[in-house]
Amino acid sequence: MFHQTTTKTVTILLLFIGMAIYTVFAGFYGRELVIEAAYLVILAISLDMVAGYGGMVSLCHGAIFGIGAYVFAILTGMMGISPFIALVAAIAASGLFGLFVGAVTSRTSGIFFIMTTLAFGQMVYVYTFENRALGGDDGMSGVARLDLSMIGIDTNDSLQFALLAVVFAALSYAVAAFIMRSGFGRTLVGIRSNEVRMRALGLPVLRYKAFAFGISGALAGLAGTIAAQQTMFVSPEMMSWMMSGEALVIVILGGLGTLVGAAVGAVLFVFLQHEVSEVTRYWHMVVGLVLILVVVLGNRGAYGQIEHLLERRKKGAPKASALEVAAEKDASHA
Amino acid sequence: MLEARGLKKSFGQIDVTNDVTILVEKGERRVILGPNGAGKTTLFNILVGELKPSAGTIHLDGRDVTGDTVEARAKRGLARSYQKNNLFTELTLKENLALAVATASGASGWFLRDTLNDTDILAKVRDVAAKVGLSELLDHPVDAVSYGARRQLEVGLALATDPSVILMDEPTSGVGPEMIQGFHRLLKTLPRDLTVVIIEHDMDLALDVADRVSVLNYGELVFEGTPDETRGSSLVNEIYLGGRADA
Repeated sequence: MFHQTTTKTVTILLLFIGMAIYTVFAGFYGRELVIEAAYLVILAISLDMVAGYGGMVSLCHGAIFGIGAYVFAILTGMMGISPFIALVAAIAASGLFGLFVGAVTSRTSGIFFIMTTLAFGQMVYVYTFENRALGGDDGMSGVARLDLSMIGIDTNDSLQFALLAVVFAALSYAVAAFIMRSGFGRTLVGIRSNEVRMRALGLPVLRYKAFAFGISGALAGLAGTIAAQQTMFVSPEMMSWMMSGEALVIVILGGLGTLVGAAVGAVLFVFLQHEVSEVTRYWHMVVGLVLILVVVLGNRGAYGQIEHLLERRKKGAPKASALEVAAEKDASHA
Repeated sequence: MLEARGLKKSFGQIDVTNDVTILVEKGERRVILGPNGAGKTTLFNILVGELKPSAGTIHLDGRDVTGDTVEARAKRGLARSYQKNNLFTELTLKENLALAVATASGASGWFLRDTLNDTDILAKVRDVAAKVGLSELLDHPVDAVSYGARRQLEVGLALATDPSVILMDEPTSGVGPEMIQGFHRLLKTLPRDLTVVIIEHDMDLALDVADRVSVLNYGELVFEGTPDETRGSSLVNEIYLGGRADA
């Protein structure tokens, strides 16, 4: 079950404050990295909600991320609609697509679930790639950014836009954490833990799984809108299975089923990607080695391992119930 | 209350349940006896909807639930505990019971409230935990408590949904004689308006708590009667001594 522990609170605050401070002192390139990290934080959190807490390992979150980006791009770039309306529409469209995918795939599990989500993702990718009206493999440019001039924020300024992206990431964490500690979030963990028992208790499991996928999709769509605004350009590559795989690597790198781990993993991933790529062109191999190391050393991820060490419960001998204690006493008196 | 008529379940050419009719009155304690492989658990699986019958009907409170899903039957008040523990193993006992209480009360869909911090849900969790003797262990994860405590939790999860009918599949399997007596006391304290159907191997426990006893053998209902009639039945004795009854 999700608990907003002190470790989680301190870590997530340090992470976002650190990102904000870095943004202030970094140059343009550094701020671009922060924006990339921020939307990957949101995407990874959205994936962790369903994969880490719901047990639904999705390989179509890249596509949902891309749907958010494309809907935002189409509405602002092609149709000239207000970026605010486009933002809401992009989140809604991604959420609805997530709900649809969830409704169809929630009857499956394990490898079949993963492959079905991959199939959905690839269909979206291929459709976008081949559709000339959407720019085909060339993608689309002319994406607008949110206009926040009424509150004195210039989103065309790299510093202010990067800070805005960090704020969106922080808000996304807050929303995800709030949901995961609600009755719905608790139920989702119950489904992951024992779906058969949840049914036996009277829960319409498929409906809950589909709805969780919809919420997760909405967050992934938000991440896509930020990515689209960063470069003011969208391309089918945003929705390829590689993007889904990257999101999954991030979640595992940080710690599956911790939420904070997803955020830590995203920042770690961007750091590794850009720092290591300056040294060697084989940076993917380094990320791969780190991932293998993380999995082999306890399978908890970078943050998950720290949390485990700090907050692990002292496990003693199996605890007997009052009934057993009474039974033992009766037996000893007999 | 719970009416199963002409239930049949076949896997290929093999009939694992064959023309079983069981009518259980409201508040009745019905014990299902039978040797291993008699089809007792299969009967439970059919009653709760985990298996679809090849033939026959099931009525709960006069309503035909034969085509209903597991969750729909559970919502109508049909709960079960499992022969092999079927728990939320990485969660604490409190979280296990809270999931059951929240699902039954409709709180599982709450978005703005935490079921683990809700006064009413926690009160119900404590109440159920006290009934099954787990009050002291609520904050422990399932995988850190003993087997006996897990068996109690198995029953507790079913009770936490406030069922009108509870099916208990060998609640005392694998526990010692003292704990069997503990379950015995628990069964005696359950509300009289709760209908209880128990699969039980322990004959003494079964006959002490039962209002009526049904005996299955090779998937067929071969005997039904009161505990006294069961004690005096040569057929039941023959089945329990290992022979095939030609009823």
